[in-house]
Amino acid sequence: MAVPDTGMSRRLVNWARAKSPWITVYNSGACNACDIEIIACLMPRFDVERFGILVKGSPRHADILIVTGHVTLKQASRLRRVWEQMPEPKYVIAMGACGAAGGVFHGLYHMMACVDCVVPVDVYVAGCPPRPDEIINAVVTCLNLMAEDAAHGGKEWRRKKPATGADTEGKSCTVIP
Amino acid sequence: MTRPVTVETITERMKEFGVVEQVRKNRIRVKTVPDRIHDAITTSQAMLGFDRLITISTVDNGETLELLYHLIGSHRIIISLSIELPRDKPVTPTVSDLLLPAGIYERQIHDLFGITFEGNPNMKKIILNEDWPGDEFPLRKDWTPGPDVFYGGIRVEKREGS
Repeated sequence: MAVPDTGMSRRLVNWARAKSPWITVYNSGACNACDIEIIACLMPRFDVERFGILVKGSPRHADILIVTGHVTLKQASRLRRVWEQMPEPKYVIAMGACGAAGGVFHGLYHMMACVDCVVPVDVYVAGCPPRPDEIINAVVTCLNLMAEDAAHGGKEWRRKKPATGADTEGKSCTVIP
Repeated sequence: MTRPVTVETITERMKEFGVVEQVRKNRIRVKTVPDRIHDAITTSQAMLGFDRLITISTVDNGETLELLYHLIGSHRIIISLSIELPRDKPVTPTVSDLLLPAGIYERQIHDLFGITFEGNPNMKKIILNEDWPGDEFPLRKDWTPGPDVFYGGIRVEKREGS
């Protein structure tokens, strides 16, 4: 989508994408608390399906990838492969304290330095674990980003910056010494 | 009629394998040598009813690496058979032919402590990533991550413009 297309079909696709984002969840070494909160989102109390948000099993069907947890070295290539399977435009939400900066796993020998080293992250959600309404808020933030990107004709207009504190300047990003 | 298994009968029976010590009410520790661990497990399984392996734990004592095989039976007494291996050549025979689940514990110990179990049919990596360097054992006390060593995962190039 290099040139903004204002045709009817393009507008219809963008509208449909914003009104019904499909999500895939990837647990990259988390403690499962984030996954339980995502399940709480799907349950009747929060019921994200009334917004059209669906959790899909396959990354090939998804628009948004939610990464729960810090990325272990073993999961890094798997997470990258899952992200590569998703169709464009794709967005990544890093969930919880672990996804943002490592959490309790920060600096361990078997962890990547950041989620951003493996896949480019668009939205970070704080909390350990985040509440379901914060997860819904993150998805809505992601949808606003999606609308802005559609207006600008792609994601290139905003340059991705690494996460604060995850300084990857000039060193291998796999292990924090 | 068989005699009930008590701490005294276990102490009497296991005395030939090394120093037997009662550490708590129902905990017995036997300090033996790597060559006799096979016989010790066979004896405690066949004679004393220790038919289940709880876990194999490893201790880094600095000079030596200590392996502890914890077994339990229906009499609810736990026996810990301990052997010590030299740090520079940690090789011991496998017990996965006697206790099938021990094979998985041995693979984990091989990953994290670098102890080789001779005769284990499948000594591949199980807990670390596949591209972890072969001579680094992260749970040894003297291990620190090297600054220039690539430990697997994804190699990250320097970002442009940041």
